[in-house]
Formats: sequence, structure tokens, C-alpha cells
Amino acid sequence: MPASLRSRSFVIMALLPALLIFILFAIVPIFWSAYYGFFDWKGLGAAKFVGINNYRLMLEDPIFWRALKNNLILVASAIVGQVPIALLLSLLLLKNTMFNRLMRSAVFLPMVLSTVVVGLIWGYIYHPQIGLLNQLLETLGLESWSRPWLSDPKINMLAVSIPINWANIGPYLIIFIAALQNISSEIDDAAKIDGAVGWRKLFSVTLPMIWGTVVVTIVLCISGSLKAFDHVIVMTGGGPAQSTELLATYMYNNTFTVYRYGYGSAVSTMIIIISAMLIGLNYILTKRRG
Amino acid sequence: MKKRLMFITTIVLMFALLASACSSGGNQSGSKESGNKDGDTGQKVKISIWHNFAGDDLRAKAVRGLIDKYKAEHPNVEVDAQAIPVDGYRQRLSTVAAANEMPDVFFVYAGSHSQEFYDAGKVQPITELMDKYPEWKNNFMDGAFDRYEFEKGQIFTAPLGMSATSFMYYNKDLFEKHSVKVPTTWEEMMIAIKTFNDNKVTPIALGNKAPWVAQSTILGSLADRVTGTEWFLKAAAQDGASFTDPVFVEALGKFKELVDNKAFQDGANSIDNTQAEQYFIQGNAAMMISGAWSLTNLAASATPEQLAPIEVTTMPGIEGGAGKGNTISGGAGAGFALNKNTTGAEKQAALDLIYAVSGPDGQKAIAESHSMVMYKVELDESKVNPLYFKAFELALKSEITPVYDAYLTAEAGEAINNGLQELMMGGKPEDVAKKLQDAQSRSTK
Repeated sequence: MPASLRSRSFVIMALLPALLIFILFAIVPIFWSAYYGFFDWKGLGAAKFVGINNYRLMLEDPIFWRALKNNLILVASAIVGQVPIALLLSLLLLKNTMFNRLMRSAVFLPMVLSTVVVGLIWGYIYHPQIGLLNQLLETLGLESWSRPWLSDPKINMLAVSIPINWANIGPYLIIFIAALQNISSEIDDAAKIDGAVGWRKLFSVTLPMIWGTVVVTIVLCISGSLKAFDHVIVMTGGGPAQSTELLATYMYNNTFTVYRYGYGSAVSTMIIIISAMLIGLNYILTKRRG
Repeated sequence: MKKRLMFITTIVLMFALLASACSSGGNQSGSKESGNKDGDTGQKVKISIWHNFAGDDLRAKAVRGLIDKYKAEHPNVEVDAQAIPVDGYRQRLSTVAAANEMPDVFFVYAGSHSQEFYDAGKVQPITELMDKYPEWKNNFMDGAFDRYEFEKGQIFTAPLGMSATSFMYYNKDLFEKHSVKVPTTWEEMMIAIKTFNDNKVTPIALGNKAPWVAQSTILGSLADRVTGTEWFLKAAAQDGASFTDPVFVEALGKFKELVDNKAFQDGANSIDNTQAEQYFIQGNAAMMISGAWSLTNLAASATPEQLAPIEVTTMPGIEGGAGKGNTISGGAGAGFALNKNTTGAEKQAALDLIYAVSGPDGQKAIAESHSMVMYKVELDESKVNPLYFKAFELALKSEITPVYDAYLTAEAGEAINNGLQELMMGGKPEDVAKKLQDAQSRSTK
């Protein structure tokens, strides 16, 4: 028997335990939850089969659409916020100097903080009476700009998205720096000889070289923003009056505060479907450009 | 061939390993049960208790102290006590309930929460404990078991406290300084609000980020003054009254009147209850409508100088309303429930534990930790702070009216909670009333 085959069966066997655990705890629950989505179930007592009624109710509920809209705002803010800022910073901080390393750590720091801490910090920054932001505006004489940032439904989604972006730039910065360092120096030299500098080099050489990475970060941004939950639950709990509700908080509130387990399961299945659709769309769009 | 055999054997082995890992929990509990059936002497009895006294306040410390005392006095009982923070408690409990892995003794809230566990067949009565200590049973105040008597003559839980949710705390100094009369009528309330606003003092501190606050502390009392208790009980039962009735819309209108007159500080929907308490105790607001829990929090965190000007009274009455003034919304508080599947020696130990915490000694310890109880306690004035003493006396002589979310279904409770936030953001009372009515009629079957 050839050695390659022997090693392949070894690889399969070595992967099997991890794969089994992954299937058991990550894949199976998805189908399980999709199955519960067809029931009217309070979490306690008997479940009643209701077919696709939960999905019908969901599509009729204006709060679901608001949650979806808020999620799309987050996705958009992540794509136009996190990715370009991370890319810009990675270009600036590429060289390994002491200052750059310090800056990189500073940008990465919020990622290390627990999300609850981030939520609390920003909760206090936005505090309507003693908050840093309002007091700063007051000292600058811009008192008319101060407002209850988290409870004014016109701006609270924006207010919530800033800390989320702030906390998530770190990992993308690291990914971009790694990708930039992977561009071989020969290509750099060739570009220099051909006279490509500045913007021209960025768009014709650097970006195409790391395009695969950019696509991956956008996918990560989309999926990360769609499952955004913890910052919002800490800062607003989805309120006031569900104005900052996201799909995940909508699912959570329905399942665990109102005890509609069946409906909550249907919502979580919907989140998976929407994520898959968005990521597919992104794949098509970026593939054409690439 | 040989290799293939090895491959298959490995896979089978792995499955076996996984399967045994999964079932080991079941085996343990199996052996535990068989051990308990015959033995009591020398046999360790294992029971579990879940509660939400995880905080650092006096009451939580008192209850944890009672559990520790029980542990020390019963060395043959192994108590697995889990203290889960209040905010996540209900979720954790309903998760284990769904998985059918509930603890032997667990803390349940009065009203729809404990009702749901009863409906799902997860609890058993503790009547035998009541029969064993008749004096204890008779010392509870009237109505203590109203919400826990799911079957006639069977009591499922002994309340650990009284939830009085709508005291009106006020800062005497601020009222004197701006020469405002402490309001006893709605008209005087509006005058007070206007005067304080003119003097740049927040009239009423409110922290409604967790949206139950406005509902539990303000709306319950306010609406009762407009609609009367009888109407509310009918509407909650969806029997002869509906939340879209003009009288309830009028009650919501009164709440909206508070909002429109800027009774609450800016951004009340984005700060929490504790932050509002701090705001009030620091003298930034003249009044705060809050429950008995604020007594506990203030006693634990405020300085004596800060506490000195604080007085407590009931919310002002409303002229022309169907309900009385001088009432406080409240009722029996939460207490411990017994898991239906707990039997034999474990059940005995669990009952003893419930008595150790909710019995006469427990009630006294809790009352002395500045927390209201539904039990006749001789309160030693020197052992508690004066504000708490005043509130306790006030509660004893006031009439108690229902708290909204204790009678509404979980879904309807959520609807009115969000509805009040909506009113604070400029919503219309009619729309909120309709949403509440829809939710209550959908979830009451």
C-alpha cells in the first residue's frame, strides 16, 4: 500500500474526533433549532406543530424588519468603517518600528477587553448627564449638540455602531499587516523600476496582491455584524422601545424574555439564511472585480 | 484488510468513548438515587438550590448567610448553592427547565413566573411544611399566599419578601429650598414638576434602560388610581374589560403627561435603575418613584448625610379616578419552590432548607437587612435605618394594589414595558394600549 494513502487514512482518523465534536455541537444544533422553528413552544410544557406559521408571523412583524435594517446598518458601517480604516492603518504601521508596534497594540487593545467592559465604558461616555461626550461638547460650547445618545431613536443606532467598529478594527489590522508582509520584495522592486509609486502602486500592485484577504475580511465583517449582540445588549438591551433591536437581540428577547422558544428558533434559522445570502452576494460581487 | 479492520475498530472505539462521555452524567444520578432510597444514616444527601442573591447588598448577604448556616448545621447534607445574578436568572432557570435539569430548590417570582412552572408540572407543594409549623404559617400577612396557591389548600411557595414597588421617595431639603408642597394630588404634582424644572432640578429621577422599571414602579400605581383595581383584574383575565378601554388609555395619558411636562431627566431610557438612584441620592432630583429595593440599595451605598433629607410617601392620588389614593403597588414577593422530581431523603432535606431560609428566623434576618417581608416581624427600630423603618410602617398601613407584570403574561409584560418607552419617545397612548391588548389576548388562552 502506498505511503500517501496510509497517511491519508491517518489524517482522516486524526481529524475524526474534532470533526465529530464539531458536528455534534455546531452543525447538529443548527438543524435542531430549525426543527424547533416549526413549533409553538414555550420552553416548558408541550410543543404544538404550527408549520411555517412562525416564519409568517416573523415576516409580518415590523420589529423583525427594523432589526434587519439595524443589522444592515451595522454591516454597512463595518464595511465602510472597519475595512478601510484597518487597511489605512496597516499601510501606515507596516514598518516594524517601536512607535508602530505601540500604535498597533493600542489599536488592538479594545479587542482584548471583554465586550461587556467595552459596552460599559461607552455607556458612560454616552451617559446623558455625566457622560464624557456631552460634557466635552459643553466645554467646547457646543451644548446644543449634546443629546441622550443612546435613547434618541434617530441616532442611537449610529451611536451603538461606533464602539462596535472601534472594538473590531484590531484583528483586521493584524490580518492586513500579515498580508502586506507576504508581498514579496521582488514585486516591490519591479513596481519601483516600472515607476509605480503612491496611489498608482496601491491600486495597481498592492491591493490586487491582497485582494483575497480583503474579500475574506469583508466576509468576516458581514458575519460578525450579523451576529452582533453583546455590545448592544450591554449598552441598550435593544431598547428603548426596540429601536436598537438587532436580529440576535430580537431572537434572544423573544426566546428568553417572552419565552417563545419556537419563534426564537425560527428567527435564528432566519439569521443563518440571511447571512448565507449576504455572503453569497459578496462572493459574486468581489469575484467579478477580482 | 488488516488495516481496514483497524480503521473500523478505531472508529467504533471513538464512538464508544463519545457515547460513554455523554452518558456518564446519567449514571451518576442513577447511583445517587439508588443510594438515597435505603440509606439515611451516614449517607450523604445531595441537594441543589438556585437563587439570585448574588449581589453585595444586605439582603443577598442575609440570605446567603442563612444558607451557610443551614449547611453548617446539617453536615450530612451536601448543598450545591448557585447564586446567579438577577439579570440572567430567569433565562438560566428557563434554560435548565427546558432541558429538564432543574435544581431541587429554586427561587421563583410571584405571578406569571411561578405560574408557568406550575403549569408545566415542574413544582410540588410545600403544604406539609406549613402543617408542620402552623404558627409560622399564621404569622404571614393577609394575601401572602394568594399567588402561590395554585390548587385549593396547597401552598407551593412561602414568600421571602414583600415586593412594594411604588414608594415615592423625596428630598425634603429640595422641597423646602424651592418652597414646593409635597404633592398629594395630581394638580400639585404638576405644579411641583413645573417649579423644579424652572429651577433646573430634575423633578423625578428615572432609570428605565431595563424597561420594566417605569411599568413596575410608576404605571402600576398610576393606572390603578385611574382605573381601579377591579377593572385591571378583569382586563388581565381578558374577561369583561380590555386594555383598549378609554379608561386605560386615559391612565397611559397621565403617564404621557409626566413625560410631556419633562418630569424625568433627559435620556431616562438609557440609564439603569441604580444610576437613577445615585442621581437622586446626590441631590440632583427632587423625587424618585421606586420600589422597596431602593431602600436596600441606598442603605448599602449612601452616606448618612445623603440619607438624612430623604423621606418616603405614597404617590399622589388622582382626582376623579376610580381608584383610591394612598395605595402602593405590590404583593407577595418571590420565594423558593420545590422541584417535582425531588423525593425521599432529598425532599426532606430540601424542605428543611426552605424552612431555614423562609422560616421565622429567616424572615427576621431579611427584615433586618432592610428588605420588606410579608411576615409579621417585631422590628427593632435601633437595628434598622430610619428611612427603612418609615417605609415599613407606611407599607403596613397602606393598601396594596396589583403590580402589572405580576398579572400580565410574559409577552404582554414585554409589550407594556416597550410601550412605556415608546410613550417616552413620543408615541401615542392609543397605540400602546392596543399593543398591550393584542399581546395579552394572544397569550391568554
